[in-house]
Amino acid sequence: MKFLRHLAAVMLVVAVVVVGGLAWEHFGASTLAGGFRGPVKVVNVPGGLLKGLPPGTAVAVRPGPHGPVVVRDSGGMSLGLDSMFQAVNLPVLWNAVEIEAGVIAAVVILDIARRRLRRFLRTRRLQAGGSVD
Amino acid sequence: MTSELRAAPAAGRRRRIAARTRLDFWFDAVLLVAYTLAYSYGFTGIGIHEWLGLGIGLALLIHLTLHWDWVIRTTGRLLRPRGPDKLIWLVNLALLGAMTLCVLSGILISRVALPYLGINLTQIGPFWSRAHTLTAEVTLGLVPVHVALRWRWIVRIGRRLLTRPVAGRSR
Repeated sequence: MKFLRHLAAVMLVVAVVVVGGLAWEHFGASTLAGGFRGPVKVVNVPGGLLKGLPPGTAVAVRPGPHGPVVVRDSGGMSLGLDSMFQAVNLPVLWNAVEIEAGVIAAVVILDIARRRLRRFLRTRRLQAGGSVD
Repeated sequence: MTSELRAAPAAGRRRRIAARTRLDFWFDAVLLVAYTLAYSYGFTGIGIHEWLGLGIGLALLIHLTLHWDWVIRTTGRLLRPRGPDKLIWLVNLALLGAMTLCVLSGILISRVALPYLGINLTQIGPFWSRAHTLTAEVTLGLVPVHVALRWRWIVRIGRRLLTRPVAGRSR
């Protein structure tokens, strides 16, 4: 029961963020997508018509009367798992791991340094005869 | 007899807390690995990227729900001059916003998962593609900070969970 109550509260907070995101897109889309105005129309073509393409591939982008039109292969019922875990792309994963490890190491070092500095200052204050706080 | 009755719920509570700590540790570890894989779009391919992203979206709801008590407690203490966890609270708030927008924009620009589920969003502007890239980069910076700010807890629990207890020694 408590879990469901908390889940409802979380859903509410997430809904607020979603509404914020939609409002951003509605009122300030140019802040991110400066060059483009208005929506892009996407036309999904059944996978059978465009053979040999991974699902989701955009095969044509052409100007339309109401903005650009993207024609893409919807891939039928494919789960899109045919392009997964290619060893040649392993550096992409290492890149992400390196960034994460680097940031974690930096934060940990800063935290240790901060605690040591605080301990050092407290010891010095105690030796000088002052109070701790 | 009375002390035994009193001790039983206490022991149960201890076991529950331990189980909950174990759940938090492993759930968060899996979430971190899944996030790293999902971020590495070029490695996983679009299919895994999108399905993993949807899974992470649901897992984040559970993660936040499991820690909702902490959110309430820390938010209540924010106005105190020496309130703890202020930095962690701010990082977590930024991460909540960035991660939610990342999953939302990912859903909106989905090319595999949503069409597979029979949902075709055909009027999506370039805003959401850019928003997805931007929020993904922000989360890549914030996720390790979020993890590292709890490094003492991770090391302490990790040591207890990953090392076998020495025979004949009680903890």
